[in-house]
Amino acid sequence: MEEVIFGSNIMQLFIALILVSTFMILGSTRLYSCVRAFGIQSFLLACVATVVGISTGKIDLYIVALLTLIIKAAVIPYIFIYIIREIKVKREIDLYVGISPSLIIGGILVVISYYLIRSISVITELSSFALSASMSLVSIGLFIMISRKKAIMQMLGILIMENGLFLGAISLTNGMPLLVELGIFFDVLIGVLIMGILIFRINKTFETIDTDMLKNLIG
Amino acid sequence: MIEYLLLAPLLTSILCFFSRTKKQVETISVSGSIITLLLGLTLVVDVYKHEVIVTWQNALFADAFSAYIVLIVSIVGFVASLYSVGYMGHEHKHGIIDDKKLRLYYSLFHIFMFTMLLVGVTNNLGLWIAIEMTTLVSALLMILYSRKSSIEAAWKYMIICTVGITFALFGTILTYFAAVNILGETGDALNWTSLIAVADQFDPTIMKLAFIFILIGYGTKAGLAPMHTWLPDAHSEAPTPVSALLSGVLLNCAMYGIIRFYTIATKSTGEAFTSNLLIIFGLLSLGIAVPFILLQEDYKRLLAYSSVEHMGIIALGIGFGGVFGIFGAILHMFNHAMTKSLMFFGAGNILLKHETKEIFNISGVVKTMPVTGTMFVVGTLAITGSPPFSIFISEFTILAAGFSNGHIGAAVLFLLFIIMIFAGFFNNVSRMVFGNPKPGIEKGDMSRWTLVAMGILMVFIIVLGVYIPTPFYDMIMRVVEIVR
Repeated sequence: MEEVIFGSNIMQLFIALILVSTFMILGSTRLYSCVRAFGIQSFLLACVATVVGISTGKIDLYIVALLTLIIKAAVIPYIFIYIIREIKVKREIDLYVGISPSLIIGGILVVISYYLIRSISVITELSSFALSASMSLVSIGLFIMISRKKAIMQMLGILIMENGLFLGAISLTNGMPLLVELGIFFDVLIGVLIMGILIFRINKTFETIDTDMLKNLIG
Repeated sequence: MIEYLLLAPLLTSILCFFSRTKKQVETISVSGSIITLLLGLTLVVDVYKHEVIVTWQNALFADAFSAYIVLIVSIVGFVASLYSVGYMGHEHKHGIIDDKKLRLYYSLFHIFMFTMLLVGVTNNLGLWIAIEMTTLVSALLMILYSRKSSIEAAWKYMIICTVGITFALFGTILTYFAAVNILGETGDALNWTSLIAVADQFDPTIMKLAFIFILIGYGTKAGLAPMHTWLPDAHSEAPTPVSALLSGVLLNCAMYGIIRFYTIATKSTGEAFTSNLLIIFGLLSLGIAVPFILLQEDYKRLLAYSSVEHMGIIALGIGFGGVFGIFGAILHMFNHAMTKSLMFFGAGNILLKHETKEIFNISGVVKTMPVTGTMFVVGTLAITGSPPFSIFISEFTILAAGFSNGHIGAAVLFLLFIIMIFAGFFNNVSRMVFGNPKPGIEKGDMSRWTLVAMGILMVFIIVLGVYIPTPFYDMIMRVVEIVR
């Protein structure tokens, strides 16, 4: 946990860009651009992991960076695009909360995250920058899940949250042990596949992937 | 040893997938689950002799608590596989599922078993990975029927639990951070065996934060209110044998995660913080279950809400603390697993016969299905905590712990809630089991497989209500020592 890493300009640039990519998802109404922004975000995460890897000299982090690049920046976006193409879903996203309010709420969430993390004194000043970005990602991911109607966007929201935690793990502890990281990648990949299967099923039975229709089981 | 235990369900699953006929797949499944059970029992005996077993470069381990979870998983898994033969066989005969789905069902069933066993024997905070895997597999089991409602339930289950589990991952990262500060960056810094030794030196602020995230995260999976919303949907829409596994075992696995972290967190934060949180969530779960049980119209959902209640009771037991509280909670995990599985099996038989889940449309089960009906009534008495059945013992122990450890208010509320739940539950069930049968319902019980499965569980419920065998008692006491 050398403080130098997180203070270095390149790290701050990457983390700032990750936040920007999150806002690209928040501010877009087209499914493809959301998926593309997610791909960019994952690519930036891989960059962050590489930078930390270089400065700490841990081989594990290179492996993690490579896996992020392959799984999160390539395979998962590809799965998304496959789903969108196969179920011929309308390319526009239906929203519960409009674009401009979404962006404002996103901004507020970032500010709150920064204040919350600042108040935890045990974390070094510089790594708290990365940690607050990670908290922002988690909260914006949650917000995306509840404010978008399409089932695909809920899936994307979970992945954004997961990316946020990944950033958090790197900034707090230079990454979890390799075995655990591998397990998490495995779970994320299988999870995306199974959610994909579920989305196909939802589309087949309800003839839409709007989660509005999923309101029958109550009480 | 542990490797073989994990290998058995995996191999069974693969064999099930490639089998040809219905007969074959059933034989493989039942014999596979018998082997798993035997290996599970061997592990329990081994742990009894050696205290702690560690293998596979420290990745797998078993202490008394792991062995206890393995015991529950393998027993319920075994009876559920027996029950599956009867239940899925009936659905197969009536054309609800075809050969392909039957094979898929059995192979997923055993993978599900594998993931739950893995939760028990992971020597690592990477427990997270195993718990997430259980969600993935069970979501697939839920969409076995392509009904609208089961797909809705599966989606909600998947989304809510994955988000919950994500929070638990954050808690895990925080714990790892606290551990790294003491142990340095080694792969061991996430292992129980090394964590427990230094847990008292962890930063209390971080551990408090971590425990909150863990409790919310795994609490979602364990069905603690107010994160329980996926539970009634999932438990009522899954195939019945799977409902029994979800309710009896999976919830316990998530609870196991919480209790493990409770042990670590308590060492640095002090008991008051963690205990109070558990008591609050426990009481909330009990309280929320009350109105839903009183006014329930669907009997599988009734059982699901009762699971919320019982998870609340376990959380309360741990929260009350002391030897008695924890002893009660640990014993309750076992008792609840057995009794709730019995109830779901009974409900499954009723469902097969009447083809409806509405309580209003069913009556006279005791007359049409004497064996199922009788066991269902006994199960109802047991699950609501009446003597002389096993749950009475564990609930009473927890209650006593509440009073003796000074949580008078919580204990009184607890008592009040379980009395109301008793009334509501019994009222609903009595409408189903007594009275005259609805016209058009033929007499006769379901297949013998289902009755044997229920009978085995019945033995546990009655015997443990009267006395606790010494080896079993010793085992629980060891678990209590680990948890405290």
